Amino acid sequence: MNQATATPTDSDQPIPNVDLSTKLGRLALPNPIMVASGTFGYAREMQEVVDVSKLGGVLPKTITAEPRVGNAPWRTVETTGGLLNAIGLDNDGVDAFCEHHLPYLVTLNTPIVVSVAGRTEDDFVSLAQLVGQLGVAAVELNLSCPNVSGGIDFGTNASSCHDVVAAARKACPVPILAKLTPNVTRIAEIAKAAQEGGADAVCLINTVLAMAVDWKKRKPILGNGMGGLSGPAIKPIALRCVHQVASAVDIPIIGIGGIANIDDVMQFLVTGASAVQIGTANYYDPTLSTRLVDQLPAALAEINASSVSDVIRTLQV
Amino acid sequence: MSDPNTADCDSNLHASYYADGMQQVETELVENEQIAQSTYRLRVAAPTIAARAVPGQFVMIRLAGVNAPLIGRALAIYDIVNNDQGDPTWVDLVYLQKGAFTTPCSQSPVGTPVSLWGPLGNGFDPRPCDRLIMAVGGIGQTPMLLLGREANGAQAFGRPNGWAKDVELIYGARNEGLLAGVDDFRQAGFDVQLCTDDGSAGQQALVPAILEQRLQEIGDTASVRVVTCGPEIMMEKVAECCQKHHVDCQVSMETPMACGIGICFSCVAKVKQADGNWDYKRTCVEGPIFDAGKIDWS
Repeated sequence: MNQATATPTDSDQPIPNVDLSTKLGRLALPNPIMVASGTFGYAREMQEVVDVSKLGGVLPKTITAEPRVGNAPWRTVETTGGLLNAIGLDNDGVDAFCEHHLPYLVTLNTPIVVSVAGRTEDDFVSLAQLVGQLGVAAVELNLSCPNVSGGIDFGTNASSCHDVVAAARKACPVPILAKLTPNVTRIAEIAKAAQEGGADAVCLINTVLAMAVDWKKRKPILGNGMGGLSGPAIKPIALRCVHQVASAVDIPIIGIGGIANIDDVMQFLVTGASAVQIGTANYYDPTLSTRLVDQLPAALAEINASSVSDVIRTLQV
Repeated sequence: MSDPNTADCDSNLHASYYADGMQQVETELVENEQIAQSTYRLRVAAPTIAARAVPGQFVMIRLAGVNAPLIGRALAIYDIVNNDQGDPTWVDLVYLQKGAFTTPCSQSPVGTPVSLWGPLGNGFDPRPCDRLIMAVGGIGQTPMLLLGREANGAQAFGRPNGWAKDVELIYGARNEGLLAGVDDFRQAGFDVQLCTDDGSAGQQALVPAILEQRLQEIGDTASVRVVTCGPEIMMEKVAECCQKHHVDCQVSMETPMACGIGICFSCVAKVKQADGNWDYKRTCVEGPIFDAGKIDWS
């Protein structure tokens, strides 16, 4: 809304009459354009940057039971077409989140999906149980942060993935989404385990484990050594993962990974995603997410679709 | 600018919100010229940013429509230029050509599309004083032109101006060729004192040493304020010098940013808390300007 002289939106053209709503199991969204956890702060930071109420859903930064100070700098490094990060789940902890951020978030008139992470199954379950009772639309289990020890095991081992999802589902009254890592041999197997555990949807992908090196100092650039790669560089990997998972599970998929324009959004929907999350692009094009909502009707009309659901999983292979 | 109840960097909580006046503008370079060795000044038409900025704030800028470099770069607002009607219209940025953005940018002709968003960050406090000393090194002079002009009353930014009787710039660089914009500072009416590592201009000395000398000369430093921007080691020494002389000092921190608006948590610096511990604070929203005593330099 503060886009002074920016790329034209479609607002001055007749808006095709299309149904943008999308359904992910028990979770219904007004449109498929969400913003990814860790790329939108706690939404307050963005409140005058975009009209948050236009979004299909907002995921605040992942919360953990205890406050975490995060990793030492450097925390991000740019790479060709991408961004490597090792933030380390810097967050104020669930108590501060519930006291200071959640009361604001639930007034935003957009579905709030709270991303949670823990070291143990019990951590995930108690967080999901707690925030699930506080008026949020869904809980996303971050089973895939590459920058902290512990959490990633749930995303790389099918049986632990199944168990943590099943336990969280049992404890949490709202839909459970499982966010998966691409850093596995067969992501479809992990997605199947999440489905069997009762996940309402799977979100993929989290960042790709990667590294940057300063050869003159003979040291990794990131303070944490390794980190997670995001941005346009990983979009083909994400599309491949969505395709493989769509071929293996029936539950809905939320596509994430390098989405930077409306063509990217449409590619994910056609390939198998019922919604998408905009991530790194929020950093370098802060008003992108709501512009995509504006651009979606015309893109759907271009292939004679009258609704988002008309195009989901329509890839012909 | 922000809710004082939630945005205090003394709080163990992250500031809730800051980028309140931010505008994203798709525009193009209207000027882009070399002003010193490896140093360039670009100009863009960005009235919505120009009208909102205060000294010490920055913008994020990137070459539009390219995926490499992908991420915006944080550059201090060097100057704001009015149109014939007196409305703030153009934003000038001064940058050192050294990396993946600044190198192609320095070679970009007028008309090159750029995307920028700002103004960002908190800006310097306009705390009244008799003498404002701006101690800068390297490319750290860039936020000081507007600050000095506000302090001496030459320019206003929607808040009090003319809050310092005298404005002084201590500006150090490796050599004379790298000193950029010195005429701008002189024309603004500041007392300019230069120093270089090799003695090619001004004294052959480091900025903190010149500052020490000045504070000793001034003697009664009760109504002196120092602001500093430049290499971290220089700012640390400037802060030490100010602490020794009981002089109020604000620093402009430069930490690697990815978004500039508080959503990525990349640009953290160690900031001392009321309980004696430190916490990582985002310099883009909780800074980049901090009271020097708050920074944990370790």
